[in-house]
Amino acid sequence: MTARTALMHIAGTASALPAEPVDNAALSDIFGISEGWIDLFVGTRTRHFGWDPATGKVTHTLADLCAEAAGRALAAAGLAAADLDFLVLSTATPDTLLPTTANETADRLGLNHLPTYQIQAGCSGAVQALDVARALLASGHHAGLVVAGDVTARFLQAGQDASALATQELINYVLFGDGAAAAVVTAEPHGDAVAVRGLLHRFAGRGRPPGQIVGWRGVTEPEPDRQMLFEDYKTIEEEVPALAGEIVWELLSTADWTPQQVDFILPPQLSGLMTERIVAGLGLPPGCREVSCVRDTGNTGNALPLLQLDRALDSMAPGERALSVVVESSKWIKAGLALERLAGPEEGGRGR
Amino acid sequence: MNAVAVVGLDCVFPAAHGIEAFWDLLMRGGDAIGPLPADRGGPGFDDTVRGGFVDSATTFDNDFFTISPREAAAMDPQQRLLLQCAWRALEDSGRAPSALAGSDTGVFVGVMGSEWGQLHMSDYGRVTPQLGAGSSAGMTANRISYHLDLKGPSLAVDTACSSSLVAVHLAVNSLLAGECSTALAAGANLVLTPALGMVYQQMGLKAPDDRCKPFSVDSDGIGRSDGVGVVVLRPLEDALAAGQRIYAVIRGTAVNQDGRSNGVTAPSRWSQQAVVAAAYRRAGVDADQVRFIEAHGTGTALGDIIECAALGEVHAVPRDEPCAIGSVKGNIGHTEAAAGIAGLIKTALALHHRIVPASRFAARENPQLRLAERGLALLKAPLRLPAGEVVAGVSSFGMGGTNAHAVLASAPRLRAVAARGPATAGVFTLSADTPEALRRNLAAQAESLARRPRGDAASVCWTSNQVKTGLPYRAAFTARDTAELADALRTAAGDERTCARVTDRALRPPAIAFLYPGQGCQEPGMTAALYQESATYRRHLDEADDALRDHTGASVRDLVLAGDPAIHHARWAQPALFAVAHALTQTLAELGVVPDAALGHGTGELAAAVAAGVLTLPDAARLVAAHAAAADDLPDGGMLTVSVAREEITDLLADHPGLSLAAVDGPRDLVLAGTADVLERAAEALADRGLSTRRLGGPHAGHGPAADAVAARIADLAGPVTAAPARIALASARHGRMFGDEIPDTAYWADLAVRPVRFADALSALVTEIAPTCLIELGPAPHLLRLARRADLSAGIRLLHPAPGRATVTDLAEAVGGLYLSGVEPCWDALYEPSHRRTERLAPYVFSDARRFRQTVPAQPPPRPAAQAAPAAPATPAAPAAPEATPRQADPAPATHPHHSDGPGTAADARPDAALSAVIEAVVEVGAYPREQVDAEARIYEDLGFDSVMIMQLRNRLEQQLPQASGITVQQLLPALRSVGTLAAFLRELTSAEVTV
Repeated sequence: MTARTALMHIAGTASALPAEPVDNAALSDIFGISEGWIDLFVGTRTRHFGWDPATGKVTHTLADLCAEAAGRALAAAGLAAADLDFLVLSTATPDTLLPTTANETADRLGLNHLPTYQIQAGCSGAVQALDVARALLASGHHAGLVVAGDVTARFLQAGQDASALATQELINYVLFGDGAAAAVVTAEPHGDAVAVRGLLHRFAGRGRPPGQIVGWRGVTEPEPDRQMLFEDYKTIEEEVPALAGEIVWELLSTADWTPQQVDFILPPQLSGLMTERIVAGLGLPPGCREVSCVRDTGNTGNALPLLQLDRALDSMAPGERALSVVVESSKWIKAGLALERLAGPEEGGRGR
Repeated sequence: MNAVAVVGLDCVFPAAHGIEAFWDLLMRGGDAIGPLPADRGGPGFDDTVRGGFVDSATTFDNDFFTISPREAAAMDPQQRLLLQCAWRALEDSGRAPSALAGSDTGVFVGVMGSEWGQLHMSDYGRVTPQLGAGSSAGMTANRISYHLDLKGPSLAVDTACSSSLVAVHLAVNSLLAGECSTALAAGANLVLTPALGMVYQQMGLKAPDDRCKPFSVDSDGIGRSDGVGVVVLRPLEDALAAGQRIYAVIRGTAVNQDGRSNGVTAPSRWSQQAVVAAAYRRAGVDADQVRFIEAHGTGTALGDIIECAALGEVHAVPRDEPCAIGSVKGNIGHTEAAAGIAGLIKTALALHHRIVPASRFAARENPQLRLAERGLALLKAPLRLPAGEVVAGVSSFGMGGTNAHAVLASAPRLRAVAARGPATAGVFTLSADTPEALRRNLAAQAESLARRPRGDAASVCWTSNQVKTGLPYRAAFTARDTAELADALRTAAGDERTCARVTDRALRPPAIAFLYPGQGCQEPGMTAALYQESATYRRHLDEADDALRDHTGASVRDLVLAGDPAIHHARWAQPALFAVAHALTQTLAELGVVPDAALGHGTGELAAAVAAGVLTLPDAARLVAAHAAAADDLPDGGMLTVSVAREEITDLLADHPGLSLAAVDGPRDLVLAGTADVLERAAEALADRGLSTRRLGGPHAGHGPAADAVAARIADLAGPVTAAPARIALASARHGRMFGDEIPDTAYWADLAVRPVRFADALSALVTEIAPTCLIELGPAPHLLRLARRADLSAGIRLLHPAPGRATVTDLAEAVGGLYLSGVEPCWDALYEPSHRRTERLAPYVFSDARRFRQTVPAQPPPRPAAQAAPAAPATPAAPAAPEATPRQADPAPATHPHHSDGPGTAADARPDAALSAVIEAVVEVGAYPREQVDAEARIYEDLGFDSVMIMQLRNRLEQQLPQASGITVQQLLPALRSVGTLAAFLRELTSAEVTV
């Protein structure tokens, strides 16, 4: 057992993925995108949508998904809403700019008279939210809720013939999915909680053009050349593996671990295929198990690191360690977590 | 640990019907003061009167409590509201109120007499027994004990405005003394006359605006208010052991008196200080630990000054933060007898939610109170409470000088067992007294569930099993997810026919028959999903596998779960079916579902015999293995199923040597057996007659000596078998009848392989003998149920199939839900993982508000002979002689009578019948029932709520109406008092026999 004290503890996690998974065949039917192309170049098998791809009708708002994930995480932690001291929610796609989805979620959960925060972020949002939670716990709070999620209803158009789109926009139709995930964090360990031994969160994009743009519109006429979604997938492909490597070394150094002491790696979840390439380049020992979700969930933006963590908690035995590595390519943010499962009084991780 | 847990709450306060509404009112600093409702009033008491009034003082669900309209109309509305609140508070404690029937539960109610009594008992010409009971203060508690069948102490306490906190004190002491194990502590106050308001005015205590403004510079007196509150209390250890949700813990209480103070109604600073200090001593807390106090805080200038001075004496100690004070009276006014319970409920909720609401009117603090120097601070904004234990106090003082204080602490925050992995399917149960009530409550549950974030339904279902069962009309829904459950409930609530499919009223005790299929219906992978999900099923399939393994040589469980098609081989088919059947039987047994009868098809008789206690598991396992081994050596043959009557193929059997009748499954469901070539020829012959056949695989034992040899080999392989008398009714499919006293021998079991199966006869015998309400098939698919469906059984037998195939596991929950509808009381716990057996908050029962009982001002006594004083004459518009029961115009009359399920229009109703008419007339009059609610089926006690007083009145009425009943005594009537119909029949007898009595 390392002598370092934990930054905080994760007492329970949960996910919320809307409706039934949509596979590539269905996606190809809906948007006219070649199924073979998705399989070959993207590698994502299924994703979930909180809207009906045929009609565009929204079936699950972000607040629906966040409240579901948060409620389940509370149950997983064995805590009640009244035990919570704060809520931090991160998303790139709030239901409305105001009120914040953080406060709508708090309302659904029956939370009241406690600080709430909403972070506007992309894939690194969950780590940013955990960083805020860490500071809040250090200031004397006992327990809080971190929620992260994204929805695509506003960005993908039902009935769109996507084959007519530029590749940088088209790619978004096959990459993304809807989802939310949540973690209950505590200052003191609860049961077989996971200790956070290291947390990295750095903006590293000075002078770099954005790798991903998510636009938004108001009532004015849209500028004709403005894309609601843009992804510079070429640059991302080139940059992310190297950044991921730096993140691993920095986390190991913070936690005072060697690569051989890492049992699980939660790599950046760009797409099914990219993930394999990134993991191969990290130089971790062969016994280190990868925990990914992007092939099943698509890129769920803010939810991704917590979806991975939720999966990892099912398999982590007491004493086992994990690194979560996150790169947000919007304006190049490096983020990550060093995690260690504690030996609790209860049985260890139970397979699902 | 001398602490008592607050485990259940309910209330009706002005503008706050129920706990959630009350908390909402407090958190938004709401104002509940308004004009007197239109349904109250009288001379000097009109809409110029203001105060805090509840809008439900006149509504009451009398049918729910089996109280006749006449009796309900004579009851103090304090009693009516308390009954409903008590029911809902018990539900809130996570237990079905009916589960406490017969227990030593105590009831302690604070009331200040009965203004109802003042209104109704002063006109001596109109007093009735119902009014007598209805006006008694003691009855506020005793009614709850009576209707809920609670046998602990039951008493009303009157110490004026401290009554309900004194009731809490008595309840806590009673619990700690071991006098009762659960206690209801309550307070009730309804403003029905202007008298006390006048008294306050003369004493200079009445606020001109009828608002209490506690601790405010504007405070100028009291405003009177209604209120009813009930809390359920249990010793903390018991509540923790039972896993009940705990709102707060009562650490200590104290009561004292001013003694000879400045005047009998003057408050005493020294006694107030002493009672607070005494409660702290009992609770073992120091003043600096107390974070906030719900003060008496009536908002009279002098009262506030004295109270703060007293609190200052105690709390002006070195402390990190001042003790926050506030009073609920700023929101709801002074609820007098219910004031203490209002403060206690507010405090318990504040500790539960970890936030203390702001005190209304605190913004303009009265500087004369010198709060800061007294270690006190007024709650000008909500106070967020820290994690960990928080201690709070509640004060309540009576006009006559009886003071009470209670020390509460936040509940121990026990971390629940973490819920991991996908939840198992649960059964959401709901029950009510009528079909309409069921739909009303389905709608309420749907609405409340839809407000929750989507999540696993298991713990919600488990809670509903604990709380929402016990009433006659039942509904059950299998659910995994709260959002889907909410949709299902909403659909059922909105549609009568859907509702009918998921609901039932178990009119008679359930009679359950288990059916065990024979060879041929095994399926690879059967029950695999159930095995994965249910620990109980896992344990029992393992147990069956262990019993078989020595004889089968390998694990039949592994083969089944792997989905291996090898289980179709003769060697495995029977052991596989037996293992599954046995494991399902035992799983159902742990769920509280045990058969009253059993019937097996072919070798299914072996599993049936184990269920009936005739064979032990090891003996049956040996027999099953012997059957399998013998079958494995037989030549391949098969079976043909054909839909034809036995008589129609007598010639066919004669013409085809080697073709035998294997089973008679129904009047036109036959199974023929033979070798492959014989079957082929028989199928052709049947096709010539226009009959289609279906071919089943399987070994063929043949006929005559060959068959005898097979049977002998099975008996030999199995070795000696001991059989015991059946513990339940056991049918023999081989004999086509029920077993009598005989105990089958080894030869019987061996012969199952070679003798025809007379399933149809056996099923018919079983149905005749035990009249089952439910048939359950314990196999991978509903084969025997299909036969049963075709067998023209009496209607209303529920057919259930709990065994899932490979994938789905909701079937077991579905079956348990179906059994619950049939009247079974399952052991619900066995359906859920321990981590899901957690109490969730469910919406409380929604009572009918269709019937209103308006308060009436007594009229002149009707001219009735003294001997006939009870009951009063039927109410007429011209001369209202009793409080009226009037169904509200907007609400349609109930479509179905609460007391029977056949609906109106039975034969007895249709015939004009003088005796029946007279009985109905008399019952309607004595109970003041709406005429359409009384028919021949209505039961005198259970449905109409008659008691000895009403029976006396009934006798009097009958005697007036029927000449033949002249002089009849109650003793003569008693045996006939089952239903309106039986009483009428008895009276008809009197006429026809011309008996003079």
